[in-house]
Amino acid sequence: MFGQGLIKGLQITWGRMFDKKQTVKYPFEKIEMFPRYHGRFELDVDKCIACGLCANACPNKVIQLEKEKVDKKQFLTKYIMRIEYCLFCGLCVEACNKDALKFSNIIDMNQYRRSWVRLTLVDRPAPEPTETPEEETPAKEAKSEAAAGQAPGKEG
Amino acid sequence: MGENIFVGIATWLRGLLSGAGVPDMWNDTILLVVKLVAILLFILVNALWLVYMERRVCAFMQSRLGPIHVGPKGLFQTAADIGKLLGKEIILPKGADLLVFLLMPVVIFIPPLLIFGVLPFGKNMVAIDMNIGVFYLLAIASLSTIIFWAAGWASNNKYSLVGGMRSVAQMVSYELPLILALLGVIMITGTLNLNTIVDSQKSIWFVFTQPIAFLVYLIAGMAETNRTPFCLVEGESEIIAGPYTEYSGMGFAMFFLAEYANVMIISAMCTVMFLGGWLAPFGLDFIPSWLWFFLKMYLMIFVFMWVRWTYPRIRVDQLMGFGWKVLVPLALANIFVTGVGMYIFRAIGWWS
Amino acid sequence: MKTETYTLNLGPQHPSTHGVFRIILELDGETVVKATPVPGYLHRGIEKLAEARTYTQVIPYTDRMDYMAAMLMNWGYVAAVEKLMDIEVPERAEYVRVIVGELSRIASHMIATGAYGGDIGALTAFTYTFRDREYVLDLLEMVSGSRMTFSYFRIGGVAADLPEEFFPAVRKFLGELPAMCDEYDGLITGNEIFQARTKQVGIITPEMGINYSLSGPTLRGSGVNYDLRKVRPYGIYDRFDFDVPLGQNGDCFDRFRIRIDEMRQCKRIIEQALDQIPEGPIMAKVPKVIKPPVGDAYAEVESSKGVYGCYVVSDGSPKPYRVHFRRPSYINLGYLGKLCEGWKIADVIAILGSIDIVLGEVDC
Repeated sequence: MFGQGLIKGLQITWGRMFDKKQTVKYPFEKIEMFPRYHGRFELDVDKCIACGLCANACPNKVIQLEKEKVDKKQFLTKYIMRIEYCLFCGLCVEACNKDALKFSNIIDMNQYRRSWVRLTLVDRPAPEPTETPEEETPAKEAKSEAAAGQAPGKEG
Repeated sequence: MGENIFVGIATWLRGLLSGAGVPDMWNDTILLVVKLVAILLFILVNALWLVYMERRVCAFMQSRLGPIHVGPKGLFQTAADIGKLLGKEIILPKGADLLVFLLMPVVIFIPPLLIFGVLPFGKNMVAIDMNIGVFYLLAIASLSTIIFWAAGWASNNKYSLVGGMRSVAQMVSYELPLILALLGVIMITGTLNLNTIVDSQKSIWFVFTQPIAFLVYLIAGMAETNRTPFCLVEGESEIIAGPYTEYSGMGFAMFFLAEYANVMIISAMCTVMFLGGWLAPFGLDFIPSWLWFFLKMYLMIFVFMWVRWTYPRIRVDQLMGFGWKVLVPLALANIFVTGVGMYIFRAIGWWS
Repeated sequence: MKTETYTLNLGPQHPSTHGVFRIILELDGETVVKATPVPGYLHRGIEKLAEARTYTQVIPYTDRMDYMAAMLMNWGYVAAVEKLMDIEVPERAEYVRVIVGELSRIASHMIATGAYGGDIGALTAFTYTFRDREYVLDLLEMVSGSRMTFSYFRIGGVAADLPEEFFPAVRKFLGELPAMCDEYDGLITGNEIFQARTKQVGIITPEMGINYSLSGPTLRGSGVNYDLRKVRPYGIYDRFDFDVPLGQNGDCFDRFRIRIDEMRQCKRIIEQALDQIPEGPIMAKVPKVIKPPVGDAYAEVESSKGVYGCYVVSDGSPKPYRVHFRRPSYINLGYLGKLCEGWKIADVIAILGSIDIVLGEVDC
């Protein structure tokens, strides 16, 4: 009473003045995210079998995928995530049986336009069906590497 | 060596003018205008600096860094902010009293300017040496109430009106203890001239002989400048920003800068009346007198900031109660004790 | 002197309503004659949305109610579905739930403490609590991957086991927690101006608190010893030794102080849980497609704001027929209008802040 609390408060703020500062100068220094961090999605196209479990698990119908049947196998032609509706709950990652869909540690998904936010993970044409699938494989791989793309907008 | 830098410039200018054959009367006028413009520049630059300082001090107390990116250590942050605010639209609220609404941010700087004219910044460094300095100062300082109130009224917003009303109520209750606190000093010195008051603190500062008056002055001064714990006029968590709610762009910036000008005035007054003005303590005369003045002023400003970023806000009825029931009686008691003390000291011959 | 009253529209855009809440104040000068709370500006229809989602997909939506303590919001819903399906949650999962739930409660109470300081005018308190909350969020991010909307609980357990680095980190944090609480006490609670602002303001008597069905710190501030973790222990709360802080006067100050004391009790619970946590699975055996039997279930947990209940009705399909949430913030608000009458504008802010609402939860 009678000013003790007032003086205590002044002491605390005075002490904090010379304390270590908490600020991280963000664009210049970055914090390492934890391994489980829910950042930008990554899709390992080779592992993906286009089963559609992730699309079904999503509460907001964020994931839109298109597939074509090539040589009795499902071929993923388009994998679009409407990130503007994404809750980042991680149910899709959990639903993935093949460990293809994952979270990365990338945090900057902001874009200047709403439409740029949309994340196109795969956008490629289906390969021509052939009688001998063995010949097709290397070409498919090369394509898929090129197509494991990023967001259409500018980086960062 | 820096002691006479400003006085030297003034003498040099005077010599230059009289050398050029300018009559004495014109010479004086030109010199006065130069002095006032210099003070104006000083206030504006200082207000910018104080906004920056406030943000840094506040950030440091809150374990943050504050502005660091614009300029070295973020020094130009306020300038950049002002630049941004200048480019903003001044939104005119519907049903506002436009003349008053637009005029108030302009005139808000007049009271601080008028006051700085009479403040002694250093030895022989006063633009207008007025022998009723204290009286003039107190009279002008309370003018800003009317401006706040008019701004609140003209905004046609209930929050602003409540803020304006609070401003008037607060000023009425806290002007009194402020003046009564200064009366003790005036009784001892027997003068209203600020220069003489500073001179009479040569042996001992009045903060030591008048500690209660100093405390009352400090509290009432915080209320005068509408700073936490008495920031009821702004009350950003209750009435959002009080009289400034409807102001945007430069209109708001003017009020914002004027707040810091007011803080400077209260701190400068405190320095003059209680902390020995431009007198150097411990005989440290090698530091120029004007620097001492600013050091003391900034110390006081820092105390204001320190308190602001520590304390919560008081409620409006508690504010009135505290002003009338605690501060006014305390100040009156101080005057009484001072008066009695003066008689006793005179009787035993310790004081002439 | 007879004066005319005027109406002041406090909110929905107001810095101290903790979101988009609106109170229509009828004022006589600065004194409140009548206060009419108007919630609903953040209504997103979560209960209706839940009807079009599968049982698991509802979990991310419960996060969005009380986003300050999202773990506890998950818990209430998950507990109701588990009750409906008669699932036995594994031991380790229960402990994990307690640990993250109590951490979430600490985070929520830190916000409440700091935001209340901010409401009263001490903005430094606000930044201090937010600074310290980041440590809690770091811990929860380590566990769940998100900082605010965790979606960590699953029907029958939790999404992932606690990582190895979590245990030393949480012990380090708990070691620092008492110093943090002392700092808040020194800066806010002990401050005479703060006490003058909050003591004997907005008094809720125990009878009125019970009549208006208040819960959580709002009720315990009036001295009613009603904490669900003690009176009707759910999960494994009967295994922990902790106290329920109670107030005496039921004023804003008591409601505020209790939250800081509760943080200290949370520390005790977490420490005991860390000591006792067994090895084992973190998920019960739950079918891939969750189809609860026809019926309904109601489960309650003590959230940071009060008793949070969830009522789930199943028609046997993979989607819930109806989900209803008993949101403590909303129910605690019921008394606000009466409570504000006769106080000043500044007190309305103090009273509203002391109830500690989260608008996501109020409007659901």
